[in-house]
Amino acid sequence: MIKSQKRMGLIFFPAYDWAISPTHPEREERLLYTQDQLREEGIFDIDGLVEFKPDIATEEDVMRTHFCFPDVAAVTTESHMISAGGALKAARIVLDGQVDRSFALVRPPGHHAMKSVHGNRGFCNINNEAIMIDYIRDRYGMKKIAIVDTDCHHGDGTQDIYWNDPDILYISIHQDGRTLYPGSGHVNELGGPNAVGRTINIPLPPETSDEGILFAIDEMVLPILKDFKPELIVNSAGQDNHYTDPITNMNFSAQGYAALNDKLNPHIAVLEGGYSIQGALPYVNLGIILAMAGVDYSCVKEPDYRPGALRQDARITDYIKKLKDVVLGAYFEPPAYQGLPPYGEFMTRKKNIYYDTDGIRETQMESILRCKECSGLFSLETFSTVYSLSLGVEIPIGACPACRKEGGKLIASAKKSGKYSTIQVIDRVKKEYYRV
Amino acid sequence: MGKSDLYLGLDVGGTHTDAVLVGEKGIVSHYKAVTDHDNLLLSVRRAIEEITSGVDHKKIKRVNLSTTLSTNAIVENRLENVCVIISAGPGIDPDNFKIGKSFHAIEGSIDHRGAEIAGIDDDAVAKIAGDAARKKIKTFAAVTKFSTRNPDHEDAVAEILGTSADFITLGHKLSGQLGFPRRIVTAYFNSAVWRLYNSFADAIESGLGEMGIQGEVNILKADGGTMPFSLSREVPVESILSGPAASVMGIVALCDITRDSVVLDIGGTTTDIAIFAGGIPLIEKDGISLQEYPTLVRALKSRSIGVGGDSAVRASGKEVTVGPDRKGPALAAGGSQLALIDAMNYRNIVSFMDTRASAEGISVLAKKSGLAPAKLADTAIALAVKRIKYEVDAMLDEIRNRPVYTIHEMLEGREIRPEKVYVMGGPAEAFRGLLADAFGVEVVVPQNYDVANAVGAALAKTTIDIELFADTGRGTMLIPNIGVKKSIQHGYALADAERDARAYLAEHLNGLGVTARADETEIIESSSFNMVEGFYSSGRDIRVKCQIKPGVMARLA
Repeated sequence: MIKSQKRMGLIFFPAYDWAISPTHPEREERLLYTQDQLREEGIFDIDGLVEFKPDIATEEDVMRTHFCFPDVAAVTTESHMISAGGALKAARIVLDGQVDRSFALVRPPGHHAMKSVHGNRGFCNINNEAIMIDYIRDRYGMKKIAIVDTDCHHGDGTQDIYWNDPDILYISIHQDGRTLYPGSGHVNELGGPNAVGRTINIPLPPETSDEGILFAIDEMVLPILKDFKPELIVNSAGQDNHYTDPITNMNFSAQGYAALNDKLNPHIAVLEGGYSIQGALPYVNLGIILAMAGVDYSCVKEPDYRPGALRQDARITDYIKKLKDVVLGAYFEPPAYQGLPPYGEFMTRKKNIYYDTDGIRETQMESILRCKECSGLFSLETFSTVYSLSLGVEIPIGACPACRKEGGKLIASAKKSGKYSTIQVIDRVKKEYYRV
Repeated sequence: MGKSDLYLGLDVGGTHTDAVLVGEKGIVSHYKAVTDHDNLLLSVRRAIEEITSGVDHKKIKRVNLSTTLSTNAIVENRLENVCVIISAGPGIDPDNFKIGKSFHAIEGSIDHRGAEIAGIDDDAVAKIAGDAARKKIKTFAAVTKFSTRNPDHEDAVAEILGTSADFITLGHKLSGQLGFPRRIVTAYFNSAVWRLYNSFADAIESGLGEMGIQGEVNILKADGGTMPFSLSREVPVESILSGPAASVMGIVALCDITRDSVVLDIGGTTTDIAIFAGGIPLIEKDGISLQEYPTLVRALKSRSIGVGGDSAVRASGKEVTVGPDRKGPALAAGGSQLALIDAMNYRNIVSFMDTRASAEGISVLAKKSGLAPAKLADTAIALAVKRIKYEVDAMLDEIRNRPVYTIHEMLEGREIRPEKVYVMGGPAEAFRGLLADAFGVEVVVPQNYDVANAVGAALAKTTIDIELFADTGRGTMLIPNIGVKKSIQHGYALADAERDARAYLAEHLNGLGVTARADETEIIESSSFNMVEGFYSSGRDIRVKCQIKPGVMARLA
């Protein structure tokens, strides 16, 4: 019987009765072959590896992270609450000390879901990792957490949620946004004024292989993590960098994914995308699980794996080497924002968001109070093609008395104005999440 | 059951051999003797002779046997040398699954849909066969990864070995379930006990012949069901660990269990726990483990803990412990170690043999530990009951928290809430009141529980389970463990698969001489997934599990 070096918890929830639509990549059998492979390999008989049932996330769990319009029930289904609940379970078993590492193999995914939610974009409604991280900070009092997003698509939702948060380091490695959905994730996207350098993007050229991605881990991600010293590392584990993925153009392999997890050594991994459900997922997931549990993975390969055919072009190698200096500079010496309003005034940012899955267009006006004492009172005015003007107000973790007071005033005047269909409040100081 | 028909149930257990004859009106006679471990055959013969003496042997329509033969051979490592040939393809390094002295991993690979990735290495098989012949190894086991999705490679190995093998276990014949490491272990054990089991079976067969007993013969399995004698000769591994299941089925026959319940078998050394949902015993999801080896052998869900009437009671300072070990019989029975039953004697919960010896033992330990004697005895008893309750709760928790894979099950899953506790075993009566207090539900101690194991053996029905796997894209349908393989049309749907599963199961049983009513076959899992390649449907992936669940021929309640 195989014994794992690390106690490992697996939350496996394939949602065999849920799909976006019958031929959509995010459909019922997405994890079927992964489960077949894991069962046939005897994964669940490994001594030290335990399978757990997901919890079901509550409305409060979602409202701690998101502004949902008109409300949580309108933008989620049971499957989303179970998927987010799977991530919550993954966190609980690690933080309660039941296991050393955990992997939530759940669907639907979440990393394209932003702070404000009107519907589904990039196959995501609510952000599983963010809901988990905010839960951890509320319940376990943890402060500094790093998210390393290895999905092939830029995790624009997670980036949006933690844009202004200096305690959450968000690093995304992805196929260059100029060549793939959602189009963002460029090296110069570095976080808001109070959190510059806490958002790090590593866009890689199409056809980058194991060599390039592992170089980015070794030479960029690990030095940054070493400096940031997070209490917890979370991997947004997308599996669509794989050479067989139908909707991306990268050349990563199961061996590469396993090695990545070995190097990164995340406490918790949460599944994101990955749609080569037969050729990649069974082997990639097997590799990741073995690597996280500290079990030999050297024989895990795709049936059609030919390392020679996937060798990376020398120009790509050169490009990534040059990217290293830019990325490290972005973290260690981030450029200062120019032309900021003075402290005590609001800084605003206008955004147009397109929900590709649901065909919704949303317009947002974000405001953040420039504050010396805390990360600043945050508010977001939003309207979309499916919902009229609404407001979200967040009093952030560790908000100073002035920002808390300003928040109260903002909520009161917003209510009085009568111009918002919905007002949602996230008070991270009082741990209260409600609609006004 | 015909009017004058008799069923004979026989449980050759670790300590005792129990036999009963059951007729239409209930237990006709029973017999108990100490098992002769060095000669199980003699134990069996003697039990049959004794219990059938004075009975018209022609009336015995059924002889059902639960035996520890295979279990003991494995536990005591009295195993024949088996040549194990596996092919793994990509995945966990197959060297991790090495078992036995002659283990060979060869080239060849099949994927999760049953597609051949790399052909089996015929030359390597031939070479291994030659090598085995020189070493005089005559039994084999062939297991390939995903053979339940495509058994061709295992069949090819069997063909190459041909007559050089006296016997070969093919992995896909054991179970339709996935689990390559379990398949290897199960196939290995099956081959390793095959010869021993078959010579035992030959002797039983000729013995019954000599006695003029012509009824059908069945062998008990760990899932509380039986298998026909002829089939057991091919899959002797299925006879392991059947004893506890026989006892549970005995309780089913002796009591009319219809609700969620807990069944406790409290013995001298251990307490075995089984759980019933709506009157049906729960089955272990993956198969039972033997000696730390997880297998594919289906079994009732059970848990064994170190609490029994003879559990040693000790005190270190004022810290009292009970079990988990037994150091011979209790003081009351002439032993030398204070035991749980002594504490019960002292508190007048029971009056078992030498109560004075029990009282003396309690007072000696009480003096040593500085506890009042009554306090010492009460603490020990409370600890034992608490431990049983804790383990039952843990088991129920485990069932409640077992992973599910659909939103429907996640939201609608029914929770098991035991409404009754059934207790059997020597100290059962002593625990009745204590358990009633602990569980807060009615506690039943059935009459004749001391022969529940043999009654369960006599009345258990044949069980079987199959997994059908169909892939309309590839045009194949497969039921590996009963050897069904056929081509299907693109329009083959879930309803066709369910109908086929029932029909092939019934046909298979008929072939074994077992008649199963259509309403006894039960579809337990059934799913159909549209497979999409590119953006077009490329067929359906259909899976159906069908079984005959454990049950009894008649109730004696």
